[in-house]
Amino acid sequence: MSDALVAVLTNISLVSFLALSAYLLLLAGEVSFGQQAFFGIGAYSAGIATAMHGWGLPSAVLIAAAAGAAAAVLVACATIKLRGMYFAMATLAAAELMRIGFAELTIQQVKHGELVGPNGVEGFRGIRWIFEAGLEPPQFLLIVYALLATVVGLLILLERSPMGVQIRMIGEDEQLASVQGIAVVKTKLLVVAASGALAAIGGALYAHHNTYIEPSNFSVMLGVHALSYALIGGLATAFGPLLGALLDVGLLEGTRVFAQYRMIVFGGLVALLLLWRPRGILDEPLVHAWCRRLRRARQGV
Amino acid sequence: MTAFGDIAQTTIDGVAAGALYALFALGFTMIFGVIRRANLAYGSSVMLGLYVATLAWMTFDISIVLCFAIASAVAIAAGLYVQMLCFPSRAADRQQPNDAHRLMVSVAASFAVWMQLEELATLNMPAHLYPFPALAGDAVIELVGLSIRSDALIVLVSALAVCAALYLTLYRTRFGLGIRATVDLPRAASVVGINVSGVFRKAFVIAAIVGTIGAFVACATAEQLTPKLGMWLTLKAMLAMMVGGLGSLRGAVVAGVALGVLEAHVQRHFGPQLRDASTYLVLFAVLAWRAWRPGAATQFGVGVLGGRGVR
Repeated sequence: MSDALVAVLTNISLVSFLALSAYLLLLAGEVSFGQQAFFGIGAYSAGIATAMHGWGLPSAVLIAAAAGAAAAVLVACATIKLRGMYFAMATLAAAELMRIGFAELTIQQVKHGELVGPNGVEGFRGIRWIFEAGLEPPQFLLIVYALLATVVGLLILLERSPMGVQIRMIGEDEQLASVQGIAVVKTKLLVVAASGALAAIGGALYAHHNTYIEPSNFSVMLGVHALSYALIGGLATAFGPLLGALLDVGLLEGTRVFAQYRMIVFGGLVALLLLWRPRGILDEPLVHAWCRRLRRARQGV
Repeated sequence: MTAFGDIAQTTIDGVAAGALYALFALGFTMIFGVIRRANLAYGSSVMLGLYVATLAWMTFDISIVLCFAIASAVAIAAGLYVQMLCFPSRAADRQQPNDAHRLMVSVAASFAVWMQLEELATLNMPAHLYPFPALAGDAVIELVGLSIRSDALIVLVSALAVCAALYLTLYRTRFGLGIRATVDLPRAASVVGINVSGVFRKAFVIAAIVGTIGAFVACATAEQLTPKLGMWLTLKAMLAMMVGGLGSLRGAVVAGVALGVLEAHVQRHFGPQLRDASTYLVLFAVLAWRAWRPGAATQFGVGVLGGRGVR
């Protein structure tokens, strides 16, 4: 595999974590403009854990997931009752506040004769665990995809469980769901926590892949991109967000068929696509029809 | 300068900045009131107009009035394009009975078109900064010890003029009555013979003009145009609209000016980093307060001034 291909594949998977975290919230009927902040929290906390405290990557990813979930729940304590546009704007405000917070964050210490740690707007350099552990880019790629596959598997299991059905019911009609005896606020808080953790895992891996992060990496652009990947890919299965990321990062950015006109082509395609399929490419009718056909084929044998 | 004079001066500067936010928010609210969805491509459609205008100005050295006419025309065309592609008509809503679903689709579609318009502008004019024709130069008017830049005065006057014109159009003409009827009850409006999809288009045209006035004055004051304008405009418009109450025109103006004043004071005392933080903090606090107030938040009508539809 060429280096460029490895880089593109890694980028697809990293942004997929963020797209999956937006997807999880979309299932519960909420649009978030703020998932990039939890991505950032994951990046910063994992970076601090490995570069400053000498932890390994696995434990750093775990601590990042915990930090992301905690931050998401903290924000949600104030916003969980909001819906639609109000929820979206509240998440945006919280995320921008956190990004400004990153720019104020300066905790540096001397290690191996050089200063490491977040340094305000200058960013956070030298998150070099991958090199220190002697991992080659393809090996890191494998680790990232193994994690991504685990996450997708867990999400598919979740969606087949009663909990997953409840989340979709809340997404369809919150009032109806609560009349049916579903604990709406509790379920939504769990969804928010899981989505925060997912975004943070992506951020932790991103920080180690890039070795350098700065506050402007986590602007609203990143979050809205991830959100639209989930919407374009489709809201029927966890494969939807992956397809969305693959289409944009992989097909358009990776192959450069449209060169610098990529966004113009992509933007127009997305708008037209959503006119025709408002729930994305892999939407519920399509996926359900496939599942039926698969079941019938199996019974036929 | 005395302490009081200092406060007054900062407030005046803030009102001038806030008047611009109010104009952006008016345009955004106009669209939101009619289609009940957020048009993220709003800022970029206005920006595209300004890019074309400044390109024409640099190439042909045209007058500032013609410049404005070009900017408006392009912004209107871009606005109608956005409307056609992302917000076709309420007929499409029947497939999407759920408010959250509608928000999702409109967010993704208008974001995609935002990227498209922004690329269209920046691909053809890739520099980070372009000069923009100045309105009135740097003349400063002194008044009881306070100084007002003539630009700021133009901002205030144009903001007031736009507010008055919008008010008269919406509340004193049959055309405005049609818009308000569509906002309140689209189906009833179409039954009594109002062309609802026509009203959609008109809302986008009005928003494009109002937004262009605001952005044009902003750029003429700074005498420069950057590709960040589109996002800045959309964000400020959304912030002011949310704080002022979704769909409330009066709220949008009040909140826009209030945010401008707040930002000016915070910047004066704590620097630019906290200026941006203060706006978001206010937005977050307003939303959280509304969420936890007794009589839980409904889908619409929970800003400071509340209000449903264009009021």
